[in-house]
Amino acid sequence: MFQYVLRRLLVAVPMLLGAMSIVFFAMRILPGDPCVAMMGDQATSAALADCTKHLGLHRPLAVQYADYIWRSVQLDFGTSLRQGYPVSEYIGRMFPHTLILVLAAAVVAALVGVPIGIISALQRRNPLVDYPLRIFALLGLSMPVFWLGILLLMFFSLRFDLFPLIGGGDLEGVMTMIRSGELFTYPGDFFAGVLDVLHHLTLPALALGFTLAATVSRLSRSAMLEVIGQDYIRTARAKGQVERMVVYKHALRNMLVPLLTIIGLFVAIALTGTVLTETVFTRPGLGKMLVDSINARDYPLAQGAITVFTMTIILVNLLVDMAYALADPRITYK
Amino acid sequence: MAIARDASEITRPVADVPPRNVGRLVRRYAPITIGIFLAVAMIVLAAAAPLIAPLSPSAQYSDAVLKGPGFADRHALGTDEFGRDIYSRIIWGTRISLQVGLASVIFGFLVGVPLGIFAGVQGGRVETAIMRGSDMLMAFPTLLLALLIVTALGGSLENEIIAIGIALTPNFLRLARSLSLQIREQDYIMAARAIGSGQLRVMARHVFPNALYALVVVATLYIATAIRTEASLSFLGLGIPPPTPSWGNILSEGRQYIKCCPWITTFSGVAIMMAVLAFNLMGDALRDLLDPRLRGE
Repeated sequence: MFQYVLRRLLVAVPMLLGAMSIVFFAMRILPGDPCVAMMGDQATSAALADCTKHLGLHRPLAVQYADYIWRSVQLDFGTSLRQGYPVSEYIGRMFPHTLILVLAAAVVAALVGVPIGIISALQRRNPLVDYPLRIFALLGLSMPVFWLGILLLMFFSLRFDLFPLIGGGDLEGVMTMIRSGELFTYPGDFFAGVLDVLHHLTLPALALGFTLAATVSRLSRSAMLEVIGQDYIRTARAKGQVERMVVYKHALRNMLVPLLTIIGLFVAIALTGTVLTETVFTRPGLGKMLVDSINARDYPLAQGAITVFTMTIILVNLLVDMAYALADPRITYK
Repeated sequence: MAIARDASEITRPVADVPPRNVGRLVRRYAPITIGIFLAVAMIVLAAAAPLIAPLSPSAQYSDAVLKGPGFADRHALGTDEFGRDIYSRIIWGTRISLQVGLASVIFGFLVGVPLGIFAGVQGGRVETAIMRGSDMLMAFPTLLLALLIVTALGGSLENEIIAIGIALTPNFLRLARSLSLQIREQDYIMAARAIGSGQLRVMARHVFPNALYALVVVATLYIATAIRTEASLSFLGLGIPPPTPSWGNILSEGRQYIKCCPWITTFSGVAIMMAVLAFNLMGDALRDLLDPRLRGE
């Protein structure tokens, strides 16, 4: 068990370094000089030289690479070209917005996807149940999240004016109140803030959650099918257990273990989804920051955002693998 | 046979001819029929875009700016902010989606499959090196990797194909490797080696043809992924630059006008969904019909 965790860690480190190298070299083969791209053709040569020096682009590539890896490990991604303050600070402010979006979407996806997956596995011989559910899953897989987002905006924000069109609510205000303890002195303001954040979160979470629900329902369908074919299920039925109890007591609990492995996959899909979802809903977050920084040619910011995305995915996968080993002691590193 | 004694004997079906179950046939073949129909329709639209599209996709009609569907009997699906015909633009946009969808999958296939088969058959250090490289690329979700590469190369049709192709490569590589790991243990591989076939011949003449079936099924599903990724990149403004119509950039441009003119985003979104649905349906159905080994992958 300990050996498994250690070896899994040892594999994750070179993977992280490799992924970061890909980010670094991809950002370096950009055609043209980032300073020219940023400052325009009218920039004086002195200003350009200054910019090059400021970005450290005058140093040899190997030095730049080593410097980038060393700083990234310490979560130092340099200074934003447009905003002027450290990238890590910017990422720190945006990360909570993306985190709550992923969490809320995960709740929606689990509430919609898991029951659908289970029902379609148990009722797979009943075409009246299985077919509508499979069509739903297929539509969810085929519907781009940005389009579903626009449809939701057209309907709920523009037609009925129930939800805001843009923004993410005052999440920083809410977090400051929690940190300073003001939530106890002004509970009314605090709950108003939380409600505002949830109000802004509803449509993006529904859009992202529904498109993810399709994947979740497929995966939980196959997890359920796998469990239902096990010997202990037959034993439970053979001893006369009521079918409902077989499902709830035996199948459902054991289904959670294979379902655990997909959390890593889920986080990867959800994080990618935030890039599109945040752009559609004009909502602050890492994904929107990434797209904006690419469009503004703010390279340190873009590089920092992609690095954080990749780091998160690799770390979550690592944690999931370890949780999996804890949940099922039979797993050993192969 | 003697005279039937009662009605049940007459209506009882003959045992060795199973009754034809229409419902089951429909359930089995309906998805693939719909999928093939949509995909063929898409190919026809793309190939014959100049003949089918009633107007030029870039012609601007100053009398028809942001008009709804059916305006002046000329714009069946309405117009955009420059007075361009949405119907014609969507038809021309089919070309971009299909080109990127097919070409990037072929790219990923041509790069990933030989590498994967080589890794699987060769084994040892070569395999470890190739698989580690693929794992690093796998750490990025498809859209994120494609976004990174398109940012580095710049937005154009060729670069989009390369970016999505590279992003899909590790998927083909992994599948090809795991299939060749199974195949290399088969008796016919041993027989081929026994008659003196070299490594290259074994890979090209024996492993590849036996893996092809499963690879093609999965390739169909990745066409859907590629089309969706292309639309996403264009939607984010990082794909093919305007004025060339692609479904993603039509939708992106229409986003500013969702209040007055929802038809721009609605119809381009429907197009994206139908295309992705077509290849998903086809891939799913092909997998179930042809290759039960892949079920649930």
